[in-house]
Amino acid sequence: MSVVQWITIGAYVFVVAAYAVKVVRALRMPPHLRWELYPIPHEENHRYGGSYFETPGWWRRPRRISRVRDLARMLKNYLFFGSYLRWDRSYWAGLYTWHIGFYFILLFHVLSFVSALVAVNTGVAGGAEPAGLGADVFRHIMTVMGATGFAAGAAGSILLLARRTLDPKMRAYTRPSNYFTYVFFLVVFVSGLVSWYPFDPSLTSYREFWYSLVQGQYVEVEPALNVHLLLFALFLVYLPFTRSTHYITKLIAFFSVRWDDTPNSPGSRMRRRIEQALSQPVGWEAEHVQPGTRWRDVAQNLPDAREGADRSSK
Amino acid sequence: MKRPDIRDVDEISKNADRQLVRVTNRDLITMPYPYEDFVTPDSTDTEPGQACPACSLDGVSVLSLPEPKNAEEEQALVQQFLSGLKKLLSRDQNWTFLQPLKLSLDYCAKCLACSEACPVYVASGGQEIYRPVYRSEVLRRIISKYLGKGGKAFARFTEGDIDLNWATIARLAELSYRCTICRRCAQACVRGVDNGLIAHELRKLFSQEMGIAPAELHQLGTVRQLEMGTSTGMNPRAFKGIVSFMEDDIEEKTGRKISIPVDKEDADILLIHNSGEFLSWLENPEAFAIIFEAAGVDWTLSSELIEATNYGVWYDDIQLARIAMRHSEVARKLGVKRIVVGECGHAHKALMVVADRLFTEETYVPTESSIPLLEELVSSGRLNLDPARNDFPVTLHDPCNLVRLSGIVEPQRRILRAICPQFREMEPHGVDNYCCGGGSGFAIMNSQGFPEWKAAVAGRMKFRQILETFQDVISPDIHKYVCAPCSNCKGQLRDLFTYYEAGKRCGIFYGGLAELIANAMVDVEPFITWEEN
Repeated sequence: MSVVQWITIGAYVFVVAAYAVKVVRALRMPPHLRWELYPIPHEENHRYGGSYFETPGWWRRPRRISRVRDLARMLKNYLFFGSYLRWDRSYWAGLYTWHIGFYFILLFHVLSFVSALVAVNTGVAGGAEPAGLGADVFRHIMTVMGATGFAAGAAGSILLLARRTLDPKMRAYTRPSNYFTYVFFLVVFVSGLVSWYPFDPSLTSYREFWYSLVQGQYVEVEPALNVHLLLFALFLVYLPFTRSTHYITKLIAFFSVRWDDTPNSPGSRMRRRIEQALSQPVGWEAEHVQPGTRWRDVAQNLPDAREGADRSSK
Repeated sequence: MKRPDIRDVDEISKNADRQLVRVTNRDLITMPYPYEDFVTPDSTDTEPGQACPACSLDGVSVLSLPEPKNAEEEQALVQQFLSGLKKLLSRDQNWTFLQPLKLSLDYCAKCLACSEACPVYVASGGQEIYRPVYRSEVLRRIISKYLGKGGKAFARFTEGDIDLNWATIARLAELSYRCTICRRCAQACVRGVDNGLIAHELRKLFSQEMGIAPAELHQLGTVRQLEMGTSTGMNPRAFKGIVSFMEDDIEEKTGRKISIPVDKEDADILLIHNSGEFLSWLENPEAFAIIFEAAGVDWTLSSELIEATNYGVWYDDIQLARIAMRHSEVARKLGVKRIVVGECGHAHKALMVVADRLFTEETYVPTESSIPLLEELVSSGRLNLDPARNDFPVTLHDPCNLVRLSGIVEPQRRILRAICPQFREMEPHGVDNYCCGGGSGFAIMNSQGFPEWKAAVAGRMKFRQILETFQDVISPDIHKYVCAPCSNCKGQLRDLFTYYEAGKRCGIFYGGLAELIANAMVDVEPFITWEEN
C-alpha cells in the first residue's frame, strides 16, 4: 500500500480511538446530583414541559416515559439546530452550511467504504465497478454527497470565519486556535473540491482508492487527490483536539444531565452509586466544611454552626 | 463620563483601581406605558484611587471582599483559588456536579446564541460582563493557563490568557452573583452547555474552598438555619406563638376558628413553608391552613423544621446536603408519610430535585409539591369555590425553580383558569418564562447597591412583562394581581413594585396561589386585601 493509504488508515484508527477515550471518560464520571431542565421529551407532559412532579403521590405511580421521543428530539437537534435558528439566524446559516459539509463528507466516506466492501465481496475484478442501474444511482448519490460536502464545508468555513472576524462581539470570544480551525478546514474542503471537479468529476479515483484500501492493495491516484487525502487524514487527527467531540458528548449532556430526571428510588442502581459517592472523603478547605471527613458524615453530623462564619461578606 | 466598556474578556484582570463597567439608564431596555420616561439612577462610579470594594465590577457589591494588604496575601489568595479550582475539576471532590460541569466547560462553541435568552444581559442593554458566556469564558481561560497541560503559549493559542490576580478573583466572585441561575441560557444551547451551572460552580469554589459567600446566604442563611432551625432566627417557641397569632388572625379575617396542627405525629403530610411567609406573608400559610382544614387533610407543621428554605442549593453543596438531611430527619422523627413543599420555588428544586440524590435508604422521605395537591383539592369539589370572588385581572408569574427546573407547569394554571375569570398569561410563560430577577438568592441580598441593581437590571424584564400583560387595564383604579407561587419571587416582586411604585401608578399587587383559592371559598370572608406592597 502507498504511504497515503497507510496514513489514512492510521488517521481513522486514531480518530476513533481518541473519540472513544474522550467519550468513555465523560461516561465514567461519578453520579451527579440532579440538574435537569424542562421540557424533557420523554415525559408524558413534554409538550408544555411538565414532569411527574405534577402528579400528587408521584412516587406511588409507575412512570411512563418515551425514549423514542428523546431520540426523535435529539435527531431534530442534530439535523436542524433549531435553537440557533430561533436566536441567531445569520450564525445558524453559516453553522448549518458548515455542518452539512461535515455530515455529507462523513456519509460520503461511509458510502465509499461500503461500496468498496460490496465491490470486494461481490468479486468484481481489478477494481472495476459493479454495473447496473442501482450501482449507477448509488455512484451518483456518492458524487452528490462528496461534492456537496466539499462545497458546503468550504462555504460554511468562509461564512463562520467572516462572522467571527467581522462581528466584534464574537471576535472577543474567538481564539487563534478557532481561526486556525476555520482556515484549516477551509483548506481541506477546498482541496476536496479541487481534487473532484477538474480531475475526477465522477469521483471514480476516490472510490478506487477506497477499494484498494479495503483490499490492502497499492493504488496510484492523481496528485490533487493525494494532497486532499493527506489533508483529510490530518483533519481526522486534528478533530479530537477541537470541540468536535460534542457530536457524541452532546448525547451525554442531554441524556445524562438535561433530561435525566430519574428519581433516586429505593433499591435502585442510582441509590447504590449515591451510597458509594457519599463514602468519599471531603477535601474542601473552608472552615465550615470539616475537611477530612466523609460526605455522609459531613452532611449528617453538623459542626458548631459558628465555625461556618468563614469569610462571608458581613 | 464616558462609559467604560469591555473589548476583551481579559480586561477583567486589568486596571484593578478602575470600575470595569458602568450601567447607565441610557443602556437599559425601554419600558412600556406609563414608564417610558422612568429614569433609573446610573450605577455607582468608583473613581481611580478610591476605595474599591471587590475591585469594582459594576459599582455594585454583594461580597465586599477586603483587598489583600500585600503581594504575599494576594499570592495566597491566588493559590487558594487554584486549589479550589482543582477540586472543582476533581472526581473525588466534586462528584456532585463534575459531569455537567466538564460537559459545559469543554464543549461551548462560544456562538453567543444564549445571550439573548438571558434577561439580565438583555435588560442591561447588552453589557458584556452579564453575557452568560462571559464568566464561563473567564473561568475557561484561567483553567487553560494555570491548569492546562500545554503551557502558557499553548493556552494563549487555544483558550486565552488571563492573569489570575486579586482583580480577577474579586471580580469573578462578584460576577458569580450577577446570574440568577434561571438557566434560560441553558435552554437555548443546542450542545447542552449550561452557563448557569458554571456560575453555580464558581460560587461553590468560593464558598467551599475560600469561605467566601454573601452573608445573607451563608452566615445569616444556612449557618443560622443549621444552628437555630431557621434562617430568620425564629425558634420553636416563637414559631408556636406565630401559629397562635395565625389562628386568631384567620378567625378575625374569615370568622372561622381553626386549629393549626403543629408537631402532630404520624400525620399524612408535613407541610413546610419558606420562613419568609411567617415574617412577611402570613396570609399564605393562613390560606393553606384554611384550605387544608376545609378539605379535611391530615397534616401538620413542624416547630423544629419551620422552613423549607435551603439556600445551600445556590452556592454550597455541603450546606445543601446538611439542610436536606435536617429536613429528612425531622420528617422521620414525626413519622409523617410525606413532605409537602409550600409555595417556595427554590425549596422545590433543592429538596425534590437536586438533593434527591443525596438520600439513602435510611434518610429518604417522599417529597412533593403543594401545587398539584392544591389542584387536586380545588378539582375535588371539597372546597366550595365561587370564581366571581376573584373577578379581577390576574396573571401568573412562573418561578423558574418551579417550571423550568422542576417541571410543575400546568396545575397552577388549571387552578387559576378555574377560579379567576380574568386570568391572562404573560408572554413568554411556562418553561420559557423570565426570571423575576430575584433568583439564586438575589431576593434576600441587600448589600451595597444591590437592591437598586436588582430592580433596575435583574428584574427589569419581568416588570416590563407584567406591564405589557396588563396594558389594557393599566389604570391604577383597577386592582390587578400577579400570582407568584414562590416566596423569593414575592420578595423580589415586593421590591420591584416598591421601586417602580407599581401599586400607586398601575394598581398592580402580588400574592400567592393559595390566597386566591381561599379568597374564592364561599364560606370564608373575602381573604385578599389590596394593600400597597
